[in-house]
Amino acid sequence: MTGVIERARTLDEEYGIFNALAESDDSTGGGRLEGVAVSVKDNICVMGMETRAGSRVLEGYRPPFDATVVKKCREEGALILGKTTQDEFGFGTFSVNTPFKVPLNPHDRERSAGGSSGGAACLTSVADFPHLALAESTGGSISCPASFCGVVGLTPTYGRTSRWGLVDYANSLDKIGVMGKTVADAALLLSVISGPDEYDSTVSQAQPEDFTEYLQNDVEGLRVGVPREYFGEGVDTGVSEAVWGAIKGLESQGATVKELSLPHTGVSLASYYIIAMAEASTNLAKFSGLRYGLHLPLEGSFDDYFSRVRARGFSEEAKRRVILGTFTRMAGYRDAYYLKALRVRTRVIEDFKRAFEEVDVLAAPTMPVVAPRFDEISGMEPIQHYMMDVLTVAPNLAGIPMISFPCGRVHGMPVGLHLMADHMGEGKLIRAAHALEVRG
Amino acid sequence: MSDQWTIDRGLVERISKVARLELTQDEVEKFTGQLKVILEAFRELDDVDTEGVEPSFHPQELSNVLREDEATPWNWDPLENTEHREGRHFKGPRIQ
Amino acid sequence: MKAVIGLEVHVQLETESKLFCGCSTDSEGAEPNGNTCPICLGFPGAKPKVNRRAVEHAVKIARALECDVRPRFYFSRKSYFYPDMPKNFQITQYEMPLALGGRLLLDGRSIGITRVHMEEDPARLVHVGGGISSSLYTLIDHNRSGVPLVEIVTDPDLASSREARMFLEKLGLILEHLGVYDPGREGGLRVDANVSLEGGQRVEVKNITGFRAVEDALNYEIIRQESMANMGIAVERETRHYDAETNTTSTLRRKEQEEDYGYITEPDLVRIDVDDAWISRLESEMPELPDARIQRYVDEHGVPLFQAGIIVNTGLDLSRFFEECVGLFPEPGMVANWIVTFLLKSLNYEGIGLRESKVRPGTFVELLGLIGEGTITERLARELIKEYVGTGESPRSLVERRGLASAGREELGEAIDEVLSDNRKAVADYRAGQTRALDFLLGQVLRRIRARGDPVEVKRLIRDALDSE
Ligand SMILES: [Zn+2]
Repeated sequence: MTGVIERARTLDEEYGIFNALAESDDSTGGGRLEGVAVSVKDNICVMGMETRAGSRVLEGYRPPFDATVVKKCREEGALILGKTTQDEFGFGTFSVNTPFKVPLNPHDRERSAGGSSGGAACLTSVADFPHLALAESTGGSISCPASFCGVVGLTPTYGRTSRWGLVDYANSLDKIGVMGKTVADAALLLSVISGPDEYDSTVSQAQPEDFTEYLQNDVEGLRVGVPREYFGEGVDTGVSEAVWGAIKGLESQGATVKELSLPHTGVSLASYYIIAMAEASTNLAKFSGLRYGLHLPLEGSFDDYFSRVRARGFSEEAKRRVILGTFTRMAGYRDAYYLKALRVRTRVIEDFKRAFEEVDVLAAPTMPVVAPRFDEISGMEPIQHYMMDVLTVAPNLAGIPMISFPCGRVHGMPVGLHLMADHMGEGKLIRAAHALEVRG
Repeated sequence: MSDQWTIDRGLVERISKVARLELTQDEVEKFTGQLKVILEAFRELDDVDTEGVEPSFHPQELSNVLREDEATPWNWDPLENTEHREGRHFKGPRIQ
Repeated sequence: MKAVIGLEVHVQLETESKLFCGCSTDSEGAEPNGNTCPICLGFPGAKPKVNRRAVEHAVKIARALECDVRPRFYFSRKSYFYPDMPKNFQITQYEMPLALGGRLLLDGRSIGITRVHMEEDPARLVHVGGGISSSLYTLIDHNRSGVPLVEIVTDPDLASSREARMFLEKLGLILEHLGVYDPGREGGLRVDANVSLEGGQRVEVKNITGFRAVEDALNYEIIRQESMANMGIAVERETRHYDAETNTTSTLRRKEQEEDYGYITEPDLVRIDVDDAWISRLESEMPELPDARIQRYVDEHGVPLFQAGIIVNTGLDLSRFFEECVGLFPEPGMVANWIVTFLLKSLNYEGIGLRESKVRPGTFVELLGLIGEGTITERLARELIKEYVGTGESPRSLVERRGLASAGREELGEAIDEVLSDNRKAVADYRAGQTRALDFLLGQVLRRIRARGDPVEVKRLIRDALDSE
């Protein structure tokens, strides 16, 4: 598959997809992924391949081990193609928060591919060879770029896949998931990478499933809920219409549709960002220029040295999140921010649990808008970036599985339908999305 | 700390010391302004009644994931990724 | 002025592997950083997983200290930056620790235990080209990183440096009995001491190794605070460093320099539930603790309380030695007496502990047996024990090799007859009522048998011989 690596290099030049690319084909073949190139988001460790998670602070870091998901792909015969571009540590919605390459939207290179798994979505769209992507979501980082690039992005239940080898953003939120051109692609790769792992204490003990068994083009009797809050202010009317079109499509194939309410949707944004930044700011503490990654001459006291390395190694958004995250856990603030956010998280989870007593899946727009242009993004304040995630953070906080499925175009750009299910309900998502895919 | 939802320059500077993150004066200025706006937006958290609600540390609570006490050496070179080494030691900055 | 002292005791738990990874905890002779892995070095993407035995050891400690083990507990990240911390946070326990509210009885006084929790040890630092405040750079050895520790925090119930030391000795003994701690391990028990004088600010003295050093450090600190108070200088709240070489403390950081630890719950680990069944099983595995052992020696063996106390409090090795001896030589009173009165003294004289000595129960009871059967006198035994402790040679073979067995009835009879016939004047003096003459005759007989006889017994035999003459 050496040709694939060459082709990938060409695509990288056009679209800004890779932070590192395989030098040669070392795949063994002979498994479910024989002949398939698997790209790996930069924040997932590949043994011996530079892994920077989009950050200068990890410059030169070559992991001494494979992430569990990478190991599983190798065992199924895949070629590990390279490390795809992303926002630094996953801190972003447009893949622009990085000192390295910014991936371009394959449908309009003036626009963002989404984030933070932008490189993965872009490659999934443009690859003209058998390809599947390992991506990762903390607050929407699979769904968003899948939606903007018009591909299928499947974020599993928290704990369905092992996080061993994932450079942590927010450990209680991070989930390794998949992208593919089709629902079948996504189902196959999820089947390969899910399951228990002795190296991750938070992974579910549920045995791996073959998710391709849910590809049955059958939604008869499937109960679809439509949360009112997900069609409110700020959601582009064109996007709403496209999503409703898909929902009607499900109804026409035998699903039942009802509107319902998830009252804590709005406040989930604050809860999400506080928890994510609190955890992130502790995760980023280890990057101090001693044992791996960016090194500077050992001058001054450790306080000086660490402060300098971190100032040099982190770019602006990472600094902002370290400051905010540290603040939310400091004495005197911790109860009002960190602990309060965790309690609100319980409320958000309760919303979903209540909804899933009545319906099998929830349907909503993945993103409130189509992919914005880079000149629009550069004028946005941080809070406007964060607001972009308003529809994806709640299911990510609750750790429920979600799939973004392309459901039409607005202004020539893809729109994503977001389907969500209860914990461990990936099968229902695959079933529903597959039915829409077959219907075309 | 009359209102926990406000932030000023002094606080940003203090946080940058706690976080061992050197900020330029421009960054302090910029972050203070941005954080004010962000915290103002997050203030809506206060409106949620969480009386008697337990915090969710994870989406689903697992318990008692333990490993047995067996020594299983890891075959690797821990110093492979660093320039800061002397013999088999990591080399670090001085304390003061 | 009254001192108020509280201790934070860090104990290294005896396990095969580290708290969150499979690296060995035994780094004796290992090269620096030889016992490490991506987990204990906090490499990106590596995750911790809790060692079951460490949890079980910690639960046993909590129960031995009469704490309430919480039915569910969590781990937390305590954030602070230091070159000995690979992740720049320590995995420890904060709001929901393993156990709360226990006590330890010290001579009938109850010392409160605030909490017991688990945490990981940081790395060992070498300060190159100077001390902690003047070095050029540091060398970091992570073999100790991630080794399981239990932190035991006391209430501020200790009133003197002496009492603090006694508390630690007793605590060490309990931990040793539990089999969770090795008193021979260097740095296996480290102490942070909080000390204040009545009405004054609290000062924390960090990282003191050894019971004696704790007493010394506290003595220094109490005198320092007293003299400051006498001079009218207020003692500031601060953290101080203890230098064992100079036996002084010096400022490490002031209150305003204290870290803001920004605790969060460790999101890579899950809750641990300890149900009653688990606690019961662990309690059933718990051995007898020192106080109960002392009482048993008194009740079952009739050993005097003070001797039982000495045997047990000296250490688990000696208790085990005593019990094995009693198994071989079922006269516990005599065993205890000989251990406390003579064996310990000889060991002390040699400057060694029981463990390093060649003293073994089998040979030790031989010595007692030789006394019991009358082969040697107690007095001779007192002499022999010194040689025995030094060489470990079987006392019986020692006695045989050196011909030290007490003179037999026949030899003694002959000796008495000879002495009486050679010293007629003394015999006459005795008969005339001079009792001192009997002592003279005794001396002569003992010389003739080279002191291999019990003077009281020999004296009685001489008197009998004189009376029957
Ligand atoms: Zn290790």
